[in-house]
Amino acid sequence: MTDILLIMFAMTLLYMSIANRLLTYIRILVFQGFLLFGVTFLELSHINVTNLVLILLETVVFKALAVPLFLNRVIKHNGITRVAEPFLPNFVSLIIITLIIVITIVLSNSIKDINLDKTFFVVALSTLFTGLYIISTRRKIITHVMGYLVIENGVFILSLAVGNEMPMLVNLGIMLDIFASVLILGVFFNKIGDVLNDPDVNQLRNLKD
Amino acid sequence: MVSLVLILVASLFFTGIVIRTKSLASGRKGSGIFQPMKDIFKQFRKGSVYSSTTSFIFQIAPSFYFASVLMAILAIPLGKYPGLISFQGDFVLFAYLLAFGKFFMIISALDTGSSFEGMGASRESLFSMLVEPAFFIVMGSFALLTGETSFHEIFSTLHYGSNISYLLGGLATFVFIMIAMIENSRMPIDDPKTHLELTMVHEAMILDNSGFDLGLILHTTNMKFAMYGAIISNFFIGDLASMYTIPIFFAVQIGFAITVGLIESFMACFRMGHNPQFIFILTSVSLLIFFGVLLLLERFV
Repeated sequence: MTDILLIMFAMTLLYMSIANRLLTYIRILVFQGFLLFGVTFLELSHINVTNLVLILLETVVFKALAVPLFLNRVIKHNGITRVAEPFLPNFVSLIIITLIIVITIVLSNSIKDINLDKTFFVVALSTLFTGLYIISTRRKIITHVMGYLVIENGVFILSLAVGNEMPMLVNLGIMLDIFASVLILGVFFNKIGDVLNDPDVNQLRNLKD
Repeated sequence: MVSLVLILVASLFFTGIVIRTKSLASGRKGSGIFQPMKDIFKQFRKGSVYSSTTSFIFQIAPSFYFASVLMAILAIPLGKYPGLISFQGDFVLFAYLLAFGKFFMIISALDTGSSFEGMGASRESLFSMLVEPAFFIVMGSFALLTGETSFHEIFSTLHYGSNISYLLGGLATFVFIMIAMIENSRMPIDDPKTHLELTMVHEAMILDNSGFDLGLILHTTNMKFAMYGAIISNFFIGDLASMYTIPIFFAVQIGFAITVGLIESFMACFRMGHNPQFIFILTSVSLLIFFGVLLLLERFV
């Protein structure tokens, strides 16, 4: 069952690569939050109940509700245009993300370790690389934050794979989440959209000392 | 033999159901289920008009198209009954028979010398080229899963044991529905109702065909739909007795037709530039199917 949820998670990455609107990105993040909730619920059966409840609440409240709602507010408040505006065409993004998934499958197939859960490893690694790819090819600051959220989902999946043995790692993943929220708060309070008027990171290249 | 008869029967009412669903969804009463067939028979009774700039290719292409799809249907099994043509690796023959028919349609479109038809042919060949890897990866994954290499053996030994195999079945159904929509140039890719040549894909290729040829081409589309519906129904049939397989077959065909109708009613056509990425996502999804098969077979430890 966790395999199904994780394969669904990999499909959301493919969808993210061709999404046009910022709203679609937010919806995908919400869906990923719920998928992670399901994976956590099914996978972490051996840790103590309070910790499990904390982690489950975190996945639903932070990943699936609070952060996406807040992102939505940031987009509305800062008057950011609704289109993602990638540097590369979406078709190329899709091919690159497919290649990322294939390469991680091949890579993990070459690791001969029986303790390693391959599904978690493949999905987590490809999520990490997808997040990096989204950060490096999208034009807006808000999409960089979204790419960061995707990376952090990948870290969370990787920590879930060993969550029964080391619950501490999952909690560290939650810390990352809270850090990301602070990052978004920074975008919100600094009103980057309003101040710079055009939140295009390309223009930051003109800065010199 | 059973599958051939059933697919031909299903092709009679398939497009009718699609059109009826569309009219019900838009609040109209709609024409009868057999209205598209009546239109096609009306076309069959007419004579064809050929442009003087076209060669014999333009005249033989519709028949070749029709024959290639009919031949491809012969390879489709139904549950435990094999198709008339059944041998190891017949799904490769299936794919290239369809490609053969499409090739003749493309050169006949180029033969007319119309700029619109060349454009439609170019789009159609691009879309079919992008669909092909998805089809082969899905069929290859199922061949790997069952250890067999013909349509009949793959589908009759396909059993859904664990959770992940249900996911694979669901994903394969999704991929095949989308392949059918793309191969028949239906809504998310191409709007069959459009009257502007610049936005057409398949319709632009058949602008110059008339009468009997047009009827053949239109009916070939119906048969292709029913053929893909038969492949999809095979994912659910397995080796059940015929008293179950035939109702399941028709239920899947009707469900598929209603799905197509609903998609066409509630989705807008994509921008032409967004189509390739949409089609390529099928290949990516089928790679995930392949990954799931590797997981199931525990080749992936």
